Amino acid sequence: MTATHQPPTSQPGQQLSGQQTVARQAVIRQPAEPSQPPGQHAAPRQPSGRLSLRAAGARLAGSGTGGTPAVLRSLLTGLVAAALVWGVFAAWAVDQHASAASQVANASERLTFAAQEMYQKLSDADVTVTTAYLAGASVPLGVRQHYEADIARAEADLATLRSGSGSASAQFTASLTSVSVWLPLYDEFVGKAQAYNSAGHQPTGGSFMQVASEVMHLKLLPAANSLYAQESASLGSVSAQATGLTWIVVALVFAAAIGFALLRTQRWLHRRTHRRVNYGLAWASVAVIAILAWLAIAFTSARSDLENGLRHGSTPAQDLAQASTFAQRARGDEVLNVISRTGSMSFKADFDAMRHMIGPGPKPGTQLALAAAASSGQGATGVVTAEWDARSWYAVTEPVFSATNYAGETEHVLGKERGSSYAQFNKLQADLRLAIKADQATFTASATAGSDAFGGLEFGVILAALVMMVGSAWGLSRRLAEYR
Amino acid sequence: VALRFRSLLVVTAMAPLALVTACTGGQPVAGQTAAPGAGAGLGSPLNPGGGPVPSSPGSARLTLKESGSTLLFSLFGTWATAYHQQYPNITIKLAPGPLGKGTGSGQGIEDVSTKKANIGASDAFLSSGNLVQHSDLLNIPLAISAQQVNYYLPSLRLPPGKRLQLDGPVLAEMYQGKIKKWNDQAIQALNKGISLPSTPVHPLHRGETTGSGDTFLFTSYLSATDLAWNSQVGFGAAVSWPNIASAQAETGNSGMVTACSVTPGCVAYVGISYLKTAQDAGLGEASLQNFSGNYYQPTPSAISAAVSSFVSDTPADETISMINGPAPNGYPIVNYEYAIVLADQPNPAVARAIKAFLNWVITKGKGNSPSFLNSVQFQPLPPAIVKLADAQISEIK
Repeated sequence: MTATHQPPTSQPGQQLSGQQTVARQAVIRQPAEPSQPPGQHAAPRQPSGRLSLRAAGARLAGSGTGGTPAVLRSLLTGLVAAALVWGVFAAWAVDQHASAASQVANASERLTFAAQEMYQKLSDADVTVTTAYLAGASVPLGVRQHYEADIARAEADLATLRSGSGSASAQFTASLTSVSVWLPLYDEFVGKAQAYNSAGHQPTGGSFMQVASEVMHLKLLPAANSLYAQESASLGSVSAQATGLTWIVVALVFAAAIGFALLRTQRWLHRRTHRRVNYGLAWASVAVIAILAWLAIAFTSARSDLENGLRHGSTPAQDLAQASTFAQRARGDEVLNVISRTGSMSFKADFDAMRHMIGPGPKPGTQLALAAAASSGQGATGVVTAEWDARSWYAVTEPVFSATNYAGETEHVLGKERGSSYAQFNKLQADLRLAIKADQATFTASATAGSDAFGGLEFGVILAALVMMVGSAWGLSRRLAEYR
Repeated sequence: VALRFRSLLVVTAMAPLALVTACTGGQPVAGQTAAPGAGAGLGSPLNPGGGPVPSSPGSARLTLKESGSTLLFSLFGTWATAYHQQYPNITIKLAPGPLGKGTGSGQGIEDVSTKKANIGASDAFLSSGNLVQHSDLLNIPLAISAQQVNYYLPSLRLPPGKRLQLDGPVLAEMYQGKIKKWNDQAIQALNKGISLPSTPVHPLHRGETTGSGDTFLFTSYLSATDLAWNSQVGFGAAVSWPNIASAQAETGNSGMVTACSVTPGCVAYVGISYLKTAQDAGLGEASLQNFSGNYYQPTPSAISAAVSSFVSDTPADETISMINGPAPNGYPIVNYEYAIVLADQPNPAVARAIKAFLNWVITKGKGNSPSFLNSVQFQPLPPAIVKLADAQISEIK
């Protein structure tokens, strides 16, 4: 079948003389006679002068040489249309990935950090103020400032979450509203507790402190936790969008298919016309190869950077944040155990549950173990220090829960001296803060690099699509003009 | 070539769709919310007052189980009888406990938490520990109570119009074994003009391992008035009592009264509903020093005065300690008697019956009328507290 495409007057690689060229052009321009055997001449031109791609293919398959101008028109239309469709699609796909990567680096992670910090600050405020209540009638200025700084930071994080919420879900809005409504009430109950305490009515102050803590633990922290979980899920979703293979692979395969079509078209033209190079199609092919390489390299680089940032930055930071949250809850158990004075062992049980989730421990999957496996550099060093200090904290908390020894418990919970539960807890939290900061820096650097890898790519895709369209149109229309 | 070319055109057109079908995957969505009913008693600032409270329990034939405070036991019995007479389809069955006088506040909370009882009776509000385990528990005030401090000194002769006077620091030292005899200088200093006997002091305290609301109230008073007690023993439903030879642990208010009446030199804290029982047993009740330094007996006016200073500050969940309050004419150990219920009931008919019954109990002219409360020396709830209690009742569903 291939042999039928060979012009009868020429051999491969043979140069045509001037007369032969004129004669050949005359043959090509001459419509083929119906009586001529198939395979000897080009197919007759259609009256309309146009063929569908399918018809062109069928004509080629069925008649051998077929109507060359019609085929040329079909190829021109098909290649230009494919390049246009590809250009639009690939630009959209790149925009999707670039936007998602930018959102990961600049918005989602920031909001996740804000939600996580808000939870921590609320929890820390409660532990700080309940500890101050235990300390007696006069709240030290430093403790009061610590509490107020926590509340101010939580309010700032709430404002960040509110401003970044955009078209948030009903659940997200409900959680935001819950924090907004209960936070001032919590602060009011704390104020009343301190006022009664200062006036000498400690039992009443204690009951207001209990109500404040209930607001914190039953209303504020669940709402803050819900916000964190939702932001975290959103980050996961956007990250998956940024690093997902689907659209980029489709764009690459689509481009490769166009490149293949260009190659076959050039070979076909070469056999038909014996011209070695069709410059228009050659430029289009170069554009395809260039954009294929750019797309593949940029996406691989961005995906690698983003995944590295998530794996070694965001994930361990969230594990450590969770460890910090569990540690605060365990610290709350210590404090509430002394405040409630029920003799109940429920706080001890909850403390132990938190301790086993924080780690280190014999079982795998603790928050510190997960963070240790994922962190790198300063973050990894910080986790090792945190593990050491967590062990020390657990060691000094054992006497805190001994049966109804309130005087001893209070001393342990409040004692500021080196080695006390209070001091050890603060040391652990400081370790966790440093490790989280290091992991967040790792994430930010990687995510920014990943986001930057998409820089200019959308413009490149559009430019390549234009070159493909213009090159195909120019290259094929020149051949087509030879039939007029 | 033509066939390949045709195929190429088709593949080029179809590739995006085919790859999308092959590569598309779902994204997990995580989310957490607070437990249903968590902190229901705290109310909703966006919807204060909750929903309506039914005035009748409905037509379903139901038996509601009660368990808890020995102080509330007898009153709950009269409420149960009267309610059954008005609504024969509703029976309220009281858990008698080991002495037939109730199971104790701690056990009542436990029984409601584990759904062995529908309504708990408690002299103390719920602790954070209770709410950590069962965040949908509510404490709803039913009436105002107080606690008296009884003593048994058969040889003591009080001058007319005089009462034995005690304060927090003196009581704390008696319970710590530092004051060993009744004619100790510290007690004498509070009771000028009274000839005190040299009888040894026998401090009685409650011994229930599940905790006692009366112990919570009494130790709160000692902690509020004596720094040494607060730092060394503290307050709570169960505390580590100082280990002194003359101390005795008793079960329930009736156990305290009975033991005190056979132990000359005893000092005991007893709920106000046992005032007449204690008097009949020959026990005296001390006047206690309030925050302003004045001494008061647990009279209706002194109890009401003490409570009134806290009414406007009472939070929505009505968790408030009124021990040693600011009222200059108030008795120092006053409290609400609470019903403990779960906000989330498994059955709407039971929820309705509990709501209607509790509403009946706190309503003036019904369960909160003097005909019920006077027999146990309780005082009716102030209107503002009834309103808050109704808002909490409306959270039961």
